This record gives sequence, structure tokens and C-alpha cells, in this order.
Amino acid sequence: MKTAFLAGALSLLLPVIGLAGEYNLTVDRVEIDTGDFVKTGIGYNGKSPGPVLRFKEGEKVSINVTNNLEEMTSIHWHGLILPFEQDGVPGISFPGIKPGQTFTYNFPITQSGTYWFHSHSGFQEPDGAYGAIVIEPEGREPFRYDREYVVQLTDKHPHSGDRIMRNLKMMPDYYNREQQTVGEFFSDVSAQGFMNTVKDRLAWGGMRMMKADVEDLQGFTGLINGKGPDQNWTGLFQPGERIRLRFINSSAMTYFDVRIPGLDMTVVQADGNNVQPVSVDEFRIGVAETYDVIVRPRDEKAYTIFAESMGRSGYARATLAPRDGMEAPVPELSKPARLTMADMGGMHGMDHSGMEGMESMDHSTMGEMDHSEMKGMDHAGMQDMDRSGMKGMDHSAMGHGSEMSAGGASDPFYAEGSGLVPTAANGGKFLSYADLKAQKPLYDEREATREIELRLTGNMERYTWSINGVKYEDADPIRLQYGERVRFKFVNETMMTHPMHLHGMWSMLDVGAGQFNPVKHTISVQPGTTVYMETEVDEPGQWAFHCHLSYHAAAGMFRKVIVEGGPESAQAAEADTEKAGGEA
Amino acid sequence: MSRGISLIAFVVLGLGLMPAMSFAQERMDDTTARKMPLKIWGVQFEEFEYRYSDDDEELGSWDGDIFYGTDDLKVRWLTKGEYAVDEQAYEKLENQLVGQMPVSDFFDAKAGVRFDTPEGPDRTYGVVGITGLAPQWFEIDANLYVSEEGDTSAELDAEYELLLTNRLILAAALDATVAFSEDREIGVGKGLVSTETGLRLSYDLIDRSFSPYIGVVHERKYGDSEDFVRAEGGDAESWFAVLGARLSF
Amino acid sequence: MSAPRIVIATLAMSVATIAMGAGSHQGGHGHGVSGGKPGEASEATRTININMHDNYYEPESIDVKAGETVRLVVSNKGSLVHEFNIGTPDMHEARQAEMTMLVQHGVIQGGTLNRGMMEMGNGHSMKQDDPNSMLLEPGGSREVVWKFTGSGDIEFACNVPGHYQAGMYGDVNFN
Repeated sequence: MKTAFLAGALSLLLPVIGLAGEYNLTVDRVEIDTGDFVKTGIGYNGKSPGPVLRFKEGEKVSINVTNNLEEMTSIHWHGLILPFEQDGVPGISFPGIKPGQTFTYNFPITQSGTYWFHSHSGFQEPDGAYGAIVIEPEGREPFRYDREYVVQLTDKHPHSGDRIMRNLKMMPDYYNREQQTVGEFFSDVSAQGFMNTVKDRLAWGGMRMMKADVEDLQGFTGLINGKGPDQNWTGLFQPGERIRLRFINSSAMTYFDVRIPGLDMTVVQADGNNVQPVSVDEFRIGVAETYDVIVRPRDEKAYTIFAESMGRSGYARATLAPRDGMEAPVPELSKPARLTMADMGGMHGMDHSGMEGMESMDHSTMGEMDHSEMKGMDHAGMQDMDRSGMKGMDHSAMGHGSEMSAGGASDPFYAEGSGLVPTAANGGKFLSYADLKAQKPLYDEREATREIELRLTGNMERYTWSINGVKYEDADPIRLQYGERVRFKFVNETMMTHPMHLHGMWSMLDVGAGQFNPVKHTISVQPGTTVYMETEVDEPGQWAFHCHLSYHAAAGMFRKVIVEGGPESAQAAEADTEKAGGEA
Repeated sequence: MSRGISLIAFVVLGLGLMPAMSFAQERMDDTTARKMPLKIWGVQFEEFEYRYSDDDEELGSWDGDIFYGTDDLKVRWLTKGEYAVDEQAYEKLENQLVGQMPVSDFFDAKAGVRFDTPEGPDRTYGVVGITGLAPQWFEIDANLYVSEEGDTSAELDAEYELLLTNRLILAAALDATVAFSEDREIGVGKGLVSTETGLRLSYDLIDRSFSPYIGVVHERKYGDSEDFVRAEGGDAESWFAVLGARLSF
Repeated sequence: MSAPRIVIATLAMSVATIAMGAGSHQGGHGHGVSGGKPGEASEATRTININMHDNYYEPESIDVKAGETVRLVVSNKGSLVHEFNIGTPDMHEARQAEMTMLVQHGVIQGGTLNRGMMEMGNGHSMKQDDPNSMLLEPGGSREVVWKFTGSGDIEFACNVPGHYQAGMYGDVNFN
């Protein structure tokens, strides 16, 4: 009460700290029932997912976290801007929370939007230790809605995180059940001809890379708010209402393509920051990202929220309905995605000096291959191709008979000709990063003071993942200076997609919109692409910076970032000076 | 909300309201498991099977390994054997303990010792080898052995898996041994000693942990080795029907 | 004529077509549901101020009498281009298709309205001079005298892509 009073008194001076809230979370062993299987996992307040924490911008929160596990734990507040000691990464922000211990997080809420929280210890997050955060803004939202729901996705796997990591290390394709088979060979032969198919297989076999290597972890059940497809989480509405859906991807490894057949979705927020509204039929949500959309179902009927995984090995499903128990048809999964040579484009920097030699990876072969894939295409569909012409087309999407949208399936955030370029199931608009523009610039526009190149590297056969070829265990921290604006250049030299997450400071994704570049906390870097983001280095302390795929981070695609200088060390330096003065 | 204002507010808040938060806290070093090399263990049996030969011989046979270690260094115990059911005796029993480290993107080098302790004279060998994935998805394991007697030999293992479906897999395996000098006591002649060729059709029943299979295996000895085995009244060539399971834990 | 001009001129024609299609239920007929029509300044009984923000109006509803003529002063207080358009939800929906084209062809770029691109010469124009629609740049302000002829489901709305869907609309309540 005293604190509240004090805060209240101070609020006259500092309106930012008008509120104080106390919250309690216990970390527990829980049972998780997906409808497909039941397993024990880790949850908060006796459940996985944990509760939705609702904060208000300007509030000063105090969160008591009690560890009821037999092992250390931690909670990271994903996307929140806070003092680094409160960020919840063991070994970087604090030592962690011991079994039986209660740790109290204290931090001011300086932002609004949709976020989430999760354990940053071991594989507790894939094992179920996650929940949602909703922060109400101080002022009004720059959009209108009548009701809102959190839609939190995850990829629940019957195996424990430890076991998955071990299996992936032992056999990197352990969970991949979408590999190319003899049957696919023959269907490719009939579509593309025998020689072309053989050449294709030899080119990939020569690299020892799999076209099917889109998802490391298959065999999961997609959950929405903890419910499997058959358990069908349902959000109720009155026809004509606008509903804000707060999508959060809390998966360990899975990207989801989300659609609601029959409804336009207007994206109004990404990673907690408002964006200029853009209406889409479908969007892809990377691991750890959030998207808020507004939908307006006008009819007295049920609508399916369908989220199929990027590799098409699984899906999550929920329903929006006027009444409980109503259902809409659930779409079929699309055909499995296949990588193309374009997705391997970043691998030219690969070490070719293997003792056995590397013969078949020259550019002419690839050029030929692309050409051969084209032969199998239906040319009728190509007459409407404008500007982008043949070069910009997504060969593989066409090969798989996907609907072509008006401009052809291309997206500047995918390699040209990538097999991963998403297309909307209804042929409509699929959200691209290029569509995201900040609603309001968060910072003044200025030139970056320096550029740091981060090559995303790895070896699929060994399941090692690294940055600039160095795993976290062998890496020095990245040192930033307080007050600088750093331009990060991500070069993805692997064939996997990596959602890169910098803690503590915003990542402004360069979509070419200048000061309207979207403000994010997690940025997906597709295979064979280079993506830039800028960060205003305005938070002292030390922070984690990593790929948010749980097993990539654990395998070494992780860095510590140290921000040197700033208010904290200024104060420390002052204290040092005083001390020195006293001694003299 | 202007970022600048909130930053100032935050600083004021930090100075004024949270002195107890130990702002001068020493920045810690990461000593968590994340900063340590990831340690992995595993058990795999490529072959764990019952064999029935074309002259009614029954064998229990296995080929597996257990490992522990990091990306940079693993210790691996490899075990291979054939147990004759009727004679209640090992026809072959071979154990290797090797250290293994990466030498290229796809290959590891190994070095260690091999103990052969079947019925008959035992042998101890020093072993160096490479193991890994060759282009076009051939799993290769090549070893060079020097026995305590000073005899040298080499062994090449190659395996290829054909995915009929994502669970029904046809695996072809070839194992060939060449001796550079004769070791009469254990029936090894100079030159190509023996080959074992197998074709196994497996189905992944429980993940990749338990994959039962059926198959055929052909074993043959060549040259002097063939003569030696004939001289002892053995078969230089055998066909087996096999029934077993691929295991991994 | 350079290639982009041809594209834009074609676009202008198609916009005009759509505009006519959409506008077919407005104009001088005064029947059925419509947004109303421009009124005589002398008949205006009162002034209503409506502010545009990113992306909502203030106020979010206005009260009028059927047949009343009102002076509406619309000011863009946001940092993006916004529209003020009076009509039925169906009219707004039709209008959104045109606005999407304006954005795709760079006429509306975030906070900038490229009026120059609307002047095509050749008698074609993409000038947005629909009486019931005005486009305002940030800081811009305009007034319109409007006679609310009909009644029914009338909204004022911004049809810049995404804005209406996100909630940039207000209700016209007839008393």
C-alpha cells in the first residue's frame, strides 16, 4: 500500500507511473492434453499455456514467480522494454530462479500491445512454459473493435525438448517425414522428364541437402490457446462485430500460415507495435512473432481459424462462432513445401574444401535446373505476368500447381524463385514484410552509425547452428555503444528460416519505408536472403540475441550483446569517482 | 508516445524509484549450460537381427554403437557380432572404442582400438578411420587396422537408403574387407578377404526408435581367405534370410 | 505519351467507370438510401467539426435530422492521408477498390498525396472531386456543406486501404 501511495504521490510529477500492480505466477509440472496425446510438461499457475497477463501502459508491475520445479527456471518477457536485470535470461540478466525460490520481477510498463512470456531455461518453453501478455495503451487504440481474443499458437510435440534435441543431433532428419520418396521421383519424371529429374536429384544429392528440409520438427499437434484441432478452441461473436485477434506464435520450431476462410483480416499491429492497417487473406507468422488483426464476421455462422505449418506437416485450428458448438469446414493441408536452388543461394560461402570434394555445385548446373523446372510448367498461367517477368516467378510454386496471384508469387523477403514464397489459399493477398509500415515512427530518422554483419550459418547434417560460423559457446559478446544506431545485416547462408530476436531493444526492419519501417522484436530471415534491421541502442546492460527456434538457439545460434556506456555505467562511474575521492 | 520522453522518464524512474535494484550490479558472465558445449549421447543399432542361412545355420547378429560427447569430440563404442545359435558360440565378436572428431562438413575422423574376441585367437588392433556422408547420400565408414601382430587391413562400409515411402525404407549395405598381409591364425589371406552385402526392408514403427525389417544378406570370402575357410570345412559363401529391427534410443 | 502515363490514363478511365458505377445511387434523385448531397451554404444551420486521426475519427458519430443541411469542417490531425466520404457501407466498399488502385499507383503514399499524378492531360483525370469524398493530407482542412437527404445506414468513412477495416468510420444518426 505504501508503495502504491508513494507511486500515487509521485504520479503528480511523473504521470508515467500512475499505477502499480502485483501479479503471482507459479511454475509447475502440468499435464498437457492435445486431443492427440497427453504428456507432462511445464506450465504457469497449473496450466499450459499460462494465464494472459493484462497490464496497462504506465503501470509499474511487480511479478512474484515461484518455482515449483526440481530444476532452475526463469521467465523472459518477450518484447518488453525493461531494465536488463528484469529480462529473465539466466547467465545474462540474472542467475535464474532456484527450485522452491520466489523471485520478484519489478519493472515499469512503457509500451502497449500484444506480447508473450516464456521460460528461458533449457527446453522449458517447448515443454509448455509460455503465456500471453496484453498491454492496454494509455490513450485510445488507433483502431476500433468490439471484442478481442488472444490466439496463441504452439507446436506441441509428444517428445520432451531434451529428447528432441538429442534426436536431432543424432539424426538431423529424425522428425522429417516429408522427404522425397521413390513415388515423388516418378511423379517428377512424368512432370519434368527423366533426365531433368535425375539431374535435379543429383544436384541436391551432390550438396547433401534436402529439398524437403523445411521443418526440422514434425509430428507435432498445433494448439491454439492450448487446444488441439479436435478440441477446437472457440471465440464467440455477434454478427457485425469487429473482433481483434491477437495472434502469438509461441512455437518451438513452427511457422504457421494463418487464414480464416470467408473473412478478410486487417493487420493493425505486428510484434506489439501498431502498423498502418493492411487487409490480407492470409499471413505467415514466424516463431515468436505476434500479429494483431481485426476481422468483421457479418454472418450468423461459424468461421474456421486455420493455421497450417510452413512445411505443411501439421496445423492448428480454432473457430469463431456466434454460439458454442458451431463449426465450419476445416480445409485440407496443402502439399508439402519444397526448397529450390534459390533457397540454397546463400550457401555459396560454404566451405567446399571437404576431403571428398564437392563437384556438382556450380552455377551453370543450377541455371540449367531452373530452366528444366520451367519446362514442366503450365504456360497458360503465365500470360498475365507483368513487370517481374520470368525471373521473378516462383518456379516451385508453379510446379506444385498453386494458384498464381495477379502479380505472380514473389516477395522481396524471399529468395527469387524460392520454394517457400507463400501464396494465399484463395488466390488473394498474402501479407509480406514489405506491407508492414509503422503507424507512427518510434524514433527520429537518422543514419545508422555503423553496420554489423551477422551471417546465419550452420550445418544441417551435424545440426550445428551458429552466427558467423561460431557457436555461442565459442563466441565473444557483440559490443554496442549506448547511443549509437546500429544497422544489422543478416545474411542467411543456411537453408532454414531463422527468426532472429534481439532482447531489450527494438528491431526496425528495413522494408524501404524510412522512418515508417516497422518496429519489431523478431525478424525472420529466409534462406538465401539478406535482411537489414536497425536498432537504436538505448538500453544499457547485457542482452540475449538469438534465433528463436528453440533447437537452433540451443545448438549455438545465440549471442550475448553488451551495451557499453549509458546511464547505468555513468552512474557507476560517478560512484567510482566518489569512492576514489573519498579515499584520496 | 515519444520515445525520448519515455527514455528520460525511465532514467528518472531508475534513479528515483528503484535504488534498491542495485544498478551497479556486476555484469555477470554466462556460466549456464547454454554457454557450455552441448553434450549428447545416443545408442543406435543399424542391425539387430536373426539370420537363417541357406544351409540351415541360425545366427544372432548385431551391429551398433553407443556414443557420448560434443560436436567437437565424441567417444564411441562400436560393437558387432555374430552368435551361432546351435554351437552356442560367437562366430564374430568385435568391439571398438574410438574417439571421433569432425574434419570436414560431412566427415569425422576416428582413432582408437579394436578388440576381436570370438572363439579362437583374440586380436587387438589400432584403428584409424573416417565416417560420414558422401555425395548422393551414401553413408561411408572406412577404417584402417593394424593388429598387434603387425598385420594391416582395411574395411569399407557403405549404406544407401531408398525411401519407398517416408516410413518404408529399403536399405542397401556393403561391407568389404581387404588385408595387406596374411594372418593365417584367424583365416585371413592377403587381398580381398570378404564381403557382406545386405538388403533390408524396414518400417519405422515407433518414430525412428524401433523399425522392424526383413531382408537378405550375402556373405562371401575370396582368394586365400576362401581357401582357408574351405580347408577348415567352412562355407566360403552363404545366403541368409534376416529378420530384425533397427533400434535407436 | 510515355508508358507509365498510358497505364495511369487507363487507370483513370477505369477509376472513372467504377466511380460512376458506385455513384449511381447518389446524385439528384434523392430517393432511397444515399449519403445525401452537397447543400447550399445559406441553408446550413450549424457547423460540425470532425477531426481525422491515424486511423479514426473524432467524434465517431454525429447526430443530424433528416433533410438537415450542415457545414462539416474536416481536419486531418494525423500523419497519413485520409478520406472523408459519406455513404452507405456498400458505397464505401466500392470506393475501397478505387482507393486501392490509387495506393498501388503511388497517388497516395503514406502521408503524401501526389496530386500531380492525377493530372494526366488528354482529358483524363484521377482528380478526386467526387462531391461526397475528400482526400486530405496531414494538416489539411476542408469544409463541405452537406444536405442529409435520406435516412438509414449512413456512415462517414475513410476508404484508404485498411483504414475503414481498422475502424476509421463514424455513424450518422438520424434523429
